[in-house]
Amino acid sequence: MRDDEIQSFHQDCVELAQEKHARGQLSRRQLMQAMAALGGAGLATASAHAQGTPRELVMVNWGGLANQGFGNFYGDPFAAENPGWRVVQDSSGPATGRIRSMVESGRVAWDLCDSSASGAKLLGGLNLATKVDYSIVDRANVIAPVFALEYGAAPYSFSSVLCYDSSKLPTPPTGWADFWNLQRFPGTRLLRRDAVCSLEAAMISMGRPAYPIDVRAAMRRVGELRRNLVFWTNGSESEQLMRTGEAVMGQVWHTRASVLERESNGRIKFIWNQGILQPGIFVIPRGNPGGVMAQRLLGSMLAKPEPQVGLLGLLGNGPTNPRAAALVPAELKRFNPTDPANERQQVAIDGNWWGDNYQQVNADFIDAITG
Amino acid sequence: MSSAVLTTRAAVPAPVPRHFANAGWYALILPAFLLMTAIYVAPILQVLAISVTEPTTGLDNYERLLTNAGVQRAIVTTLRIGLITTAIALLLGYVLAYVVALASPAAQRWWLLAVLVPLWISVLVRAFAWVTLLRRQGLVNQGLMNAGIIDAPLALVWNELGIVIGMVHYMVPYAVLPMLASMREIDPRLLAAARGLGASRFTVFRRVFFPLSAPGLAASGVLVFIFSLGFYITPAILGGGRTLMAAEWIKMQILDIVRWGMGAMLATVLVIAILTTLAVFSRVVNLKRLFGAGA
Repeated sequence: MRDDEIQSFHQDCVELAQEKHARGQLSRRQLMQAMAALGGAGLATASAHAQGTPRELVMVNWGGLANQGFGNFYGDPFAAENPGWRVVQDSSGPATGRIRSMVESGRVAWDLCDSSASGAKLLGGLNLATKVDYSIVDRANVIAPVFALEYGAAPYSFSSVLCYDSSKLPTPPTGWADFWNLQRFPGTRLLRRDAVCSLEAAMISMGRPAYPIDVRAAMRRVGELRRNLVFWTNGSESEQLMRTGEAVMGQVWHTRASVLERESNGRIKFIWNQGILQPGIFVIPRGNPGGVMAQRLLGSMLAKPEPQVGLLGLLGNGPTNPRAAALVPAELKRFNPTDPANERQQVAIDGNWWGDNYQQVNADFIDAITG
Repeated sequence: MSSAVLTTRAAVPAPVPRHFANAGWYALILPAFLLMTAIYVAPILQVLAISVTEPTTGLDNYERLLTNAGVQRAIVTTLRIGLITTAIALLLGYVLAYVVALASPAAQRWWLLAVLVPLWISVLVRAFAWVTLLRRQGLVNQGLMNAGIIDAPLALVWNELGIVIGMVHYMVPYAVLPMLASMREIDPRLLAAARGLGASRFTVFRRVFFPLSAPGLAASGVLVFIFSLGFYITPAILGGGRTLMAAEWIKMQILDIVRWGMGAMLATVLVIAILTTLAVFSRVVNLKRLFGAGA
């Protein structure tokens, strides 16, 4: 591969990302983003993988601005240090089921997939993911054990926080107990249509520790709110519901809450208190084309604090490298889930608990809230 | 024309005629048939087969139909919403088709255009348009509140009502077209004759027009109901996450929870339910009408 060829391909990649950026902006006005999230592959790039050279690594994300963010802050720094390798972004959405069908068909095209703690555990249990090789990936590069799991590691963090509309709630809610208090805080609430984080919030609202989750009690607790709940399934939907005043408060991802707080001139606010801090786990599908280089890429993503801070600026994803928090500019600290002041107030998710229980508990949760 | 059409139609319900003279023609479509089998039918069967091979070989997944409250609820919800949607879409569609059928030829063209235009708009766009109209601060609620008719916004969306509104909107054209086709075949002289014999307008409708349009009504009903069973986007956007219909339930099993056996099971059940509905109705209704041969 000649240098200029790599360069031109990269330029193309950036261009593609910018096109998506433009579309992402459109989407905020309701349509495209939800389309992307619902259709999944709506904005998908054909992975540039088909061109034949084996010396590339394919990272798979969920669309939106991730192509640009992960390309600039994960792919480029790695490619710069590893001449002859390039990192390609694919935004077709690495759902656990998709990874499974790819691995089982024996034609794996993906090297590193943006998954979750429970997804990593589930895939590992089904023998569909490769264990992280911690002789290559350095455990010391993450601030807490929750970011370095057996079947995946997290170069970024995110949090499910309590977000509220201050124009509708004169007294600000301070935690999940207030979320469940319909007398003091009447109105519609938002939860993600997923047991993860919903049940933790329910446990905390009862004044109990988040783990181990008492599934029966937590489900009953969610049931109490049922008439006042709207469930969201993708981030843009949650943002839209808050922005248009459909809900007075919600458990939403901190990235969306941050955008809302900035863009609503303070009408919509969020609190870190009792937020559920989660690792943005990347997994390596078994039999990935790039082999051990995917481990190196993952290691590089974890090891570099500066790009992680850059990603925080662009997408809001929190860094996980221990040296990163100090590098965050003052105006961004408020929005960083792993800033020591913010992290202290949150509860870290127990990925192992969910890995063992997700399939059953989530199915029960969905049964309980639907119908 | 109508009598000729009617006689051929009466002959159709018998199974496909197997005259040897036709063998040559069947040979002509054989390549297309084989291609469809290889790239469409076979993969689908392969996926449906997962329902009896995973997690273990056997009918365990189908047993869950009887024991698992979640899948039962998804099925009941789907049937309920499907039936409600069908009923409303048929009612609205019938009125619309009646008006169109009795309009002058020039007016008919405009009416038809108005019926067909929504068909060309993406289902996604329409669902979002309904959100904009129906939400708490949407046009409908704001309008009613400004007019002093209501004090608090009505819950028009994020529930089954929202889903039904969105689905009915989608299905009305599908209800209109087969009914319109059958209404156009009604000989206007029959209506005039009935009037001449002293029947009131209502009696003419009840005893002459309606019975003659009934086959179209049934055909529309089957079409709309079958379509309704497979809705995915509309409930996902307008349902507020609290209503899970079969298609979304299957998606969740396959992509998120990775219980492929269960997902494939419900998919199989859905396919069988649709084929059964078609089989039953093919004895009652001329199915060719569904596929556009009636007009």
